[in-house]
Amino acid sequence: MESTGNHNPKRQRTVFLTVFGFLVLLTGLSFWVANSWIMEDRMIGWAVMLGISACKAMLVIAFFMHLWWESSWKYALTIPALFMGSMLVLLLVPDIGMRTDHYPKTRERLSPQAVTVPEATGNVSSSQDRTKS
Amino acid sequence: MAPQQTNSKPSDDAKEQPAPLVYQRAMPMSRGKLAIWLFLSTEIMFFTALIGTYIVLRFGAPEGSWPTPAQVGVMEWLGAINTFVLICSSVTIVFAYESAKSDRIRAARGWLLVTTLLAFGFLGVKGIEYASKYSHGLYPQSPRSLLHDRSDVYYLSHFSLQLKQRIAELEDQKTPTDHHDPATLETLYLIQSGMLNWTENKVGVSNDPNMKRLALESFAHQIHPLADRPDIDKYLADERADLEEQQQTIAPQFSDLESKLEAAQKQISQLSDSIAKLESNRKSKPNVNGDFPPPTEIEQKNKAQLEDAEKTAKDATESISLLKQQMNPIERRLEAQSRFNQFEDGINEHFHLKLPMVIPNGNTWANTYFMLTGFHALHVVIGIFVFLILLPLELDRKRAKVMENVGLYWHFVDIVWIFLFPMIYLF
Repeated sequence: MESTGNHNPKRQRTVFLTVFGFLVLLTGLSFWVANSWIMEDRMIGWAVMLGISACKAMLVIAFFMHLWWESSWKYALTIPALFMGSMLVLLLVPDIGMRTDHYPKTRERLSPQAVTVPEATGNVSSSQDRTKS
Repeated sequence: MAPQQTNSKPSDDAKEQPAPLVYQRAMPMSRGKLAIWLFLSTEIMFFTALIGTYIVLRFGAPEGSWPTPAQVGVMEWLGAINTFVLICSSVTIVFAYESAKSDRIRAARGWLLVTTLLAFGFLGVKGIEYASKYSHGLYPQSPRSLLHDRSDVYYLSHFSLQLKQRIAELEDQKTPTDHHDPATLETLYLIQSGMLNWTENKVGVSNDPNMKRLALESFAHQIHPLADRPDIDKYLADERADLEEQQQTIAPQFSDLESKLEAAQKQISQLSDSIAKLESNRKSKPNVNGDFPPPTEIEQKNKAQLEDAEKTAKDATESISLLKQQMNPIERRLEAQSRFNQFEDGINEHFHLKLPMVIPNGNTWANTYFMLTGFHALHVVIGIFVFLILLPLELDRKRAKVMENVGLYWHFVDIVWIFLFPMIYLF
């Protein structure tokens, strides 16, 4: 019933400190990934970093939040919620995630050409042009 | 519906008393814990959607079209410190719970106090970051933020509007303050004439779309550079050489006209002197009728010459003012270039001007950054409130359950940050 009741406190403390050590280590690892050759393909680098974050999250959930020692209600409360959130996000992928897949190159480089500045004819600028609004 | 007695079970109701209502626990845990877990599962949905949306936006942005942490002044080490702080606080809240469970009240309170201090530390670092974002103008604004996706005419017009407003504000200030000295006003005038008007002119006059693009991009680059741009450096150097050449061709014309004007003015003064003398001579000798003798031939000739000289002088003055009109923008442009080219961090940054700048997807970045970190910071603030309520209480075995629930919430806050850290600081 009590989440971690059966364990002896000293052992518990070792578990928590070990988890803490792993969390710090994994943070350092994602820092390393961000500045390493893995980032040559940035998508892979990001995926690796998110994977590391997922590992850290699992460690926190399993040990600090005691889900490792809980009964199976934990699945009922967490997995559907995660699924709902992910579905919302996946719905964005076609329109937002792939928004620039088919841009022509000109759209990235050139500003709209039809628009011009109307009052710009010849010598308009001078130091006396100090405009007050 | 009225209750109807059926013949099949006539005596059941009469015999059976309603059973006393007994709550059966559906799950092997306290109601408080169930409630906090239900709350956390809605939080999972909330933050999965929020973080996932950021990931979709970020993964979908082509290379170079999303600000790097360095471009928006996000410092990796600050994020790393905050990550460490939150991980530590996660451990301390676990220790606080374990101490409360085994009735070590003082230890529980001590660990909770450490957790609270770490949470304040986190908010402090966050505050430093937010302040730096604010001082650089990197935040959402209504009706429009200072961040533009591309250097186009809309950017120029927004820039122009903001610059005019800023100049008007400074002109209205009677005494200069620490932030706005007279030099700032001069700088703004120079930006207006030597950069903004020049670029507007260039964009309006040029028919070459590439030229327009370069003019606009070099303007945006000088206001807020994002990366080294050799093409812009070359464009500006070429422009400078061209302008200096123009200046050199105009300069002799200018001195020619000035000497012409000087000669004409000298002639005018001589002629008017002699005319005055001749006239006074003539007028000193009136004839019998009291009339003056008619002007002599010399006097008439002088007058005609005077008219000619005056015309020459007028023409020269007009030409000089025309040339000046032509020279002025060139001079202002050259002055602006020689003054501003040296600033590698850009004019905006160097003078703390907070004028509109071009950062591709900068506005989306600012929105998502403040949305994500803001909601997270809000959770930290709520956590701190709860800690402060718990701190004065006796944190014994009876309150261990409350401590556990608070701990669950706090670990969730930590998990959210675990995902935010690489996304915001390392991507």
